Amino acid sequence: MPAENHKMKILAIDDADLERELLIEVLKGSGITNEFLQARDGDEALEILGKNYRDICLILLDWQMPKVSGMEFMAGVIKVPAVSKIPIIMVSASGTDENKKKARDVNPSLGGYIVKPYKPEELVETIKPFLK
Amino acid sequence: MGNQAREQELEQQAKLLNETIKQLFKERGEIDFAKEPVLNKRTIVEYSGRMRADGMEKFNNPTYVSFVNFYIDAKSMEKHSALGALVVYVEQSYIVPLMKKLKYPPIDDEDEDAMKDGCGALCNIIAGAYKSALVAGGFAELEMSPFSNYRNTASNGVEFCFKEWDKYEIGYNLDGEKRLVVELTMGAIPKRK
Repeated sequence: MPAENHKMKILAIDDADLERELLIEVLKGSGITNEFLQARDGDEALEILGKNYRDICLILLDWQMPKVSGMEFMAGVIKVPAVSKIPIIMVSASGTDENKKKARDVNPSLGGYIVKPYKPEELVETIKPFLK
Repeated sequence: MGNQAREQELEQQAKLLNETIKQLFKERGEIDFAKEPVLNKRTIVEYSGRMRADGMEKFNNPTYVSFVNFYIDAKSMEKHSALGALVVYVEQSYIVPLMKKLKYPPIDDEDEDAMKDGCGALCNIIAGAYKSALVAGGFAELEMSPFSNYRNTASNGVEFCFKEWDKYEIGYNLDGEKRLVVELTMGAIPKRK
């Protein structure tokens, strides 16, 4: 368990470095002080998650990524009890209702679905309830 | 669908793409194009079953090129059987100011990977918005690939629908010059059920 006053980490997964930078800039700019871990695809994210899952309070997940896509990553994660309770928020350029439904079908506990390009306040409001 | 109907549909899809880009740039960066973007139909140049995508032909200057493919479904995506492709070309000297206008963090213009990544991020949000516009326009939901990035030329070409001969090229003037070109090729998209 994390020590008192120790903030847990946010795992940001996106194949665009610039999108991850933007996301972190927006969240830090809004006063969020959690540390960030970063991955460029689902494969890299699984490795990071395996080593750090006890410290991660939230996963921000892109959909279209090489190797292991966001949906494949999420489908895998929710099957593993040790990590299945970590909230996931999709942050994707594909934002149709059908995409959102697909994501919720894979993960009924999905924490949110944000469409790029997003408004900073929308991102902050969506993730705040999940921060620890 | 007859040839003429297909030509009309491709033109409509290119117009929809143009409107999507204008709206995206307006909303994200408060960018209005002083000159109406120009849509030109072009013949696809193919080699080894792929579509040529050469940035130097667009600007006669160093250029970054990113593309995504569209597929009818996940199975077609696995088989690399593309229905369409969207290619974004940005003149090298304009990547940094353009992404700044679109409110992205600063990009190091001496870092080629960062410049490619910036072009890819742009291509990704254009393609995502276009995919949503297609659905809103009554077309079926398509699968979208991750973006691929290159400097000057997509060296392995771009997957495209082999039944298609034509693509649309849309040129965008920013700060008084053509800075951005977006190409679209697309096979017949089923209507939503």
